Amino acid sequence: MSENHIKPMLPDIFTIPRDEKHPPMLLGGYCRHCNAHYFPKPRYCPRCLEPPELKEIGNAGIIHSLTVVRTKPPLGLPQPYSVGYVDLEKGSAGSGLRVFCLFDPESVDHLKIGQKVVLRVGPLGHDGRGDTRLRPYFKPVHENEEG
Amino acid sequence: MMLASVIGVGMIPFGKHEERTLVSMGAQACRLALKDAGVLPSGVDAAFFSCGIASRLFGDFTIGQNVFWEVGINRIPVVNVENACTSGSTAFFLACNMVAAGQADVALVCGAEKMCVPGFGLISSGESQLDTQLGMVAPAGFALRAVRHMEEYGTTAEQLAKVSVKNRQHGALNPMAQFRDPITVEDVLSAPMIVDPLTRLSCCPIADGAAALLIASPQAAHRFSHSVHVKSSVLVTGNYENPQDLANWETDRRGAHTAYEKAGMGPEDMDLVECHDAFTISEILHYEALGLCPPGEGGRLVDEGSVALGGRVPVNPSGGLLSRGHPVGATGVAQIVEVVTQLRHEAGSRQVQNAKTGLAQCMGGDKDGDTKSCTVSIFSV
Repeated sequence: MSENHIKPMLPDIFTIPRDEKHPPMLLGGYCRHCNAHYFPKPRYCPRCLEPPELKEIGNAGIIHSLTVVRTKPPLGLPQPYSVGYVDLEKGSAGSGLRVFCLFDPESVDHLKIGQKVVLRVGPLGHDGRGDTRLRPYFKPVHENEEG
Repeated sequence: MMLASVIGVGMIPFGKHEERTLVSMGAQACRLALKDAGVLPSGVDAAFFSCGIASRLFGDFTIGQNVFWEVGINRIPVVNVENACTSGSTAFFLACNMVAAGQADVALVCGAEKMCVPGFGLISSGESQLDTQLGMVAPAGFALRAVRHMEEYGTTAEQLAKVSVKNRQHGALNPMAQFRDPITVEDVLSAPMIVDPLTRLSCCPIADGAAALLIASPQAAHRFSHSVHVKSSVLVTGNYENPQDLANWETDRRGAHTAYEKAGMGPEDMDLVECHDAFTISEILHYEALGLCPPGEGGRLVDEGSVALGGRVPVNPSGGLLSRGHPVGATGVAQIVEVVTQLRHEAGSRQVQNAKTGLAQCMGGDKDGDTKSCTVSIFSV
């Protein structure tokens, strides 16, 4: 089965990349009235109670905190797996939100605070009943890959 | 100012009670509290029961009515409370406010949990939550705080481990605690890693258990021989703002600040503290939130021995969750049982000398990088 047929673990959390020119992006909520970003998108803006619009909120940032979960993993995630918080870029590229996230399972032993990371999407873990799901995860950007 | 009084306490030892039902454990704790206060079932005007996960584990609902009828309590208002790890302290908060409002003279609070069942696993916020889908489990949220605290303040793995060592020393003196063998810093650091930097001995174990409190209104309290005053009881909810400051917990601070303000007291007035040491880093964060030391100095506080029995302000003289284990719905009640026992000077070999004031802090649930609930109550004699 190709990745095209694998469903996201939840709807409206990230975009699914169509090709190299369209990297995956995290989706959040943006309230025009309050000029406020949220992740994930809430049903109503908690300030004005109008429904926020679904908006791309970024796909790159720096690691704020990280840990490695070594105990038996939930939802078919690899053992061990790494999670943390990433501060998304601010400005036109992103919302500046601090988001909880998975990290690339291949990079578990190569993560540190302050490191630049970029979003990937791929099959990772299942839905609780054994069906594989797409999940977003952040992968370190190495100097020679930038540019 | 006085909100209410605690006139009776009851508790069964925390541990693995495979042969016991949730109802039988809760009923036994209630009976002990009623006997302790010398109150008959007919003398109770309202009752609150807390458990956190029985409805998920066993499919049971409205268990309080079953527990309270086992000790002869019927007809009166009964409320079942679920508020994650603060279920018990939330029930206490409600009972205090009910007697303070003049709606009851005497109210019973019981917290119980049965969770030592096969395949229990780690607690999460439920599979519908985004964080859970992204691999958040309870210890990970605290590990991420520990990593930030170490980064920002230079807190060390050894300082974190000393919280476990201290609480096990205290727990060794408490017959209600599940784990009573002393451990060393080396034991904590070399235990299997659960979530970096938290090892198995840095995380509180699960447990079965029950605890109960009998609360009286200020007007009714004078009829009872030993009453401990409730100066304030506060419940706050997370702010869920983004970004969260992981090393300085606003919700924790806000709960403490409100409780001190309502009590007309400050951290310098506290003789002892019971706090929610679900993980070693939790206790260090709570030292700072409760104002026992300036921000960032929690590691140094445990290094200096200020928070050990015999120190300036002993924290978790009961041994805490790290020694007792954490039967979710019972923990918040058990913490208050310990503070009251200390203020009645009935704590035996773990007695805090000349204790006249105490504080119980509890925290529960996880949402958007914040806690869902935090309770702080202040007591005096």
